[in-house]
Amino acid sequence: MTLRGMRRLEARRQMEESNFLLSKARSQNLNPPVDFRLLDYVTAYDDNLMCAICRCPFVDPVVLAECDHYFCRDCIRQSWGSTYSPSGPRGDCPQCRTPARLGTRSATSKILVNILDDLLVKCPKHEEGCPVSVKRGEVEDHMNIYCGYAYQECAGERCELPVRRKDADQGCLHFGVSCFDCHETMQKSTLENHWRSECAVRRVTCPRCNMHVLSKDLDSHNSETCEAVSIPCPGASIGCTSRSKRSQAQTHAKSCTFAKLAPVISSQKSRMDEQEAAQKLLSRKLEVLETGFGVMQGILYPKVSVEADDLAADESRIPFLDNSASERTLPPHHPRMFSGDSSGNALSPFDFPVPPTSRPSSAAPGVARRASPIGLPPSESAAALRQHDPIEAYNTNYDLASPGLPPPSTSGGPYVSPLHHLLSMHESLRDEMSRVNSALQELDGRHSMQTLNENLRTREEISYLGAQLAGLSRQVHWLTSTQLQRQSRSATPSAVAGSSSEMAGTSVEAAVNAVSTAATALRGAARMVSVGQGQSSSGSHGPMRRENSAEGRTKL
Amino acid sequence: MAGMSGKRLQKELAKIQGVLPPGITLVSAPDLQTWHMDLRILDNPLYPPHDHYRLKFSFSKNYPIEAPEVVFLRLTTDPRRDIPIHPHIYSNGIICLDLLDAQGWSPVHNVESICISIQSMLASNTKDERPPGDAEFVRSNRARPRDINFLYHDPSV
Repeated sequence: MTLRGMRRLEARRQMEESNFLLSKARSQNLNPPVDFRLLDYVTAYDDNLMCAICRCPFVDPVVLAECDHYFCRDCIRQSWGSTYSPSGPRGDCPQCRTPARLGTRSATSKILVNILDDLLVKCPKHEEGCPVSVKRGEVEDHMNIYCGYAYQECAGERCELPVRRKDADQGCLHFGVSCFDCHETMQKSTLENHWRSECAVRRVTCPRCNMHVLSKDLDSHNSETCEAVSIPCPGASIGCTSRSKRSQAQTHAKSCTFAKLAPVISSQKSRMDEQEAAQKLLSRKLEVLETGFGVMQGILYPKVSVEADDLAADESRIPFLDNSASERTLPPHHPRMFSGDSSGNALSPFDFPVPPTSRPSSAAPGVARRASPIGLPPSESAAALRQHDPIEAYNTNYDLASPGLPPPSTSGGPYVSPLHHLLSMHESLRDEMSRVNSALQELDGRHSMQTLNENLRTREEISYLGAQLAGLSRQVHWLTSTQLQRQSRSATPSAVAGSSSEMAGTSVEAAVNAVSTAATALRGAARMVSVGQGQSSSGSHGPMRRENSAEGRTKL
Repeated sequence: MAGMSGKRLQKELAKIQGVLPPGITLVSAPDLQTWHMDLRILDNPLYPPHDHYRLKFSFSKNYPIEAPEVVFLRLTTDPRRDIPIHPHIYSNGIICLDLLDAQGWSPVHNVESICISIQSMLASNTKDERPPGDAEFVRSNRARPRDINFLYHDPSV
């Protein structure tokens, strides 16, 4: 006896043992009853048909008498366990915990049973090869009568072993064979199953592409790699209808526009889906924020909501930034918006609201008027003009900005209403105005200081000249008086005195001449001063000057 | 019976691999006996929203009829997971929840509903403490969670 023979004997013994066991099983039932809860359903089914316990469509549904919840009969029995009660099974409903008992069989709706029995399921033997899908109500019949993979009694003489129905006409297959490829010993009847799913080395030739593949991989070969299987174009999802063999799919794909576009389009689509999801999220956020904003605004400005319809009626008022129309269209209850001072100062097309603390705006042109005759340096007056410029620019800015205003109908704009927009504009204009005012005040102060300094100097000069003139006239007076005294003294004496008096007369004449030239010089100076005084804005020095010159004239 | 449990778990797995409620994620389900889930508590200052807690589900062959065993796990390696502090959760991860006990269990519950229950139990918690007698229980307990006779005294959580 070789080792090989021993092994064969052992295999034979095992086979006989399994034959015996199988025949015992067959004597009970060749085909065990189908467990409906393990079936695979072909079509999608409604969640309402699902038992909450096994999550399958109800199998033999029962209704609980107290709460009307449905369960599979087996599920509810298992769930309640073995608690015995003489009046039939009892327990708490698994869904609502109501103490309940099973309803009678007739309590279950017939329609429900029919719907359940019409669901399509795969044959329980589909893993062994049966391709059939049947209605669930007919599964039992299929298994008992039609299914080629269900077992029945072997037709062989004195053989009571089960055999698949489709193999039943081949005579008794219950004899030992050995697999060609792996040399495993088994019964002929199980050889097919062995080849199909177990044998690790058996190769078959693919009927389409003539390639040798592992027998158990044939299915995946067909669906994934076989070159001769015809597959749809990769662009099938976007409309290409052509099918070609896998080997030629590449060449087709090269020429097919759909196939080229498919990845792009699919990526676009996924991106679009992403964007849409993000957008949905964002719009939801926006909605939440808007509601929050609205609520907050309601809290902050309860008046707005009160005047809402009033404002809605006057919404055309918003473009009233062009000036003249504004006065007319402004409703009387907006007195704060524009001050009543519409006297038309040239600063802006608006009437500027004047802050109560600042001085009246009409002062501004006055300042300008007074400043100019003093002879401001041109750069300064230009600067003064420029001081006004920002206002003009500001106004134009506002005019430009007005078309960009949020349309009054949308509430989500930066301002809740035209009224608020105008109020804010009003505030900013008021700020600007007060700035301009302070600038003007400063300029005014500078001018008056300058004038004062200038006048001071001129006054000093004049008083100095006046003093000199007084000294000069005193001297002249003295000279004239000595001359007169001398003449009266020597009227009677000799000609010597006459000659000497003649000399004195000439000297006096020269002195008078000198005084008169001094007086003309003084007059010129006085004229100069008067011009300077005219330039200065203060007219208070005029009489004094006149007094001085009159004095000088009388002295002369 | 085993078939039914497997079938049902397969269906649940397929479902929770899709959409889950916020804060609940499936970590791993290598087979139909032990699953790991991560839990995040969204609106309770006791549990920072970025902290995850690891739940371990162990299913018996009688699963939908019998409750699964659910405990919190502590992981010291990355990713680190701690056991949330709650007056009904022992520091060894055992959860005292009637839903997980034989009496409180109902076969209509599933993994998702258990996760939601535990999540809401944590989210509604206001006490930063362990159950009374925690240290002694953790030291002495050798029984499996389902064999412990908890006394459900606190209906508020």
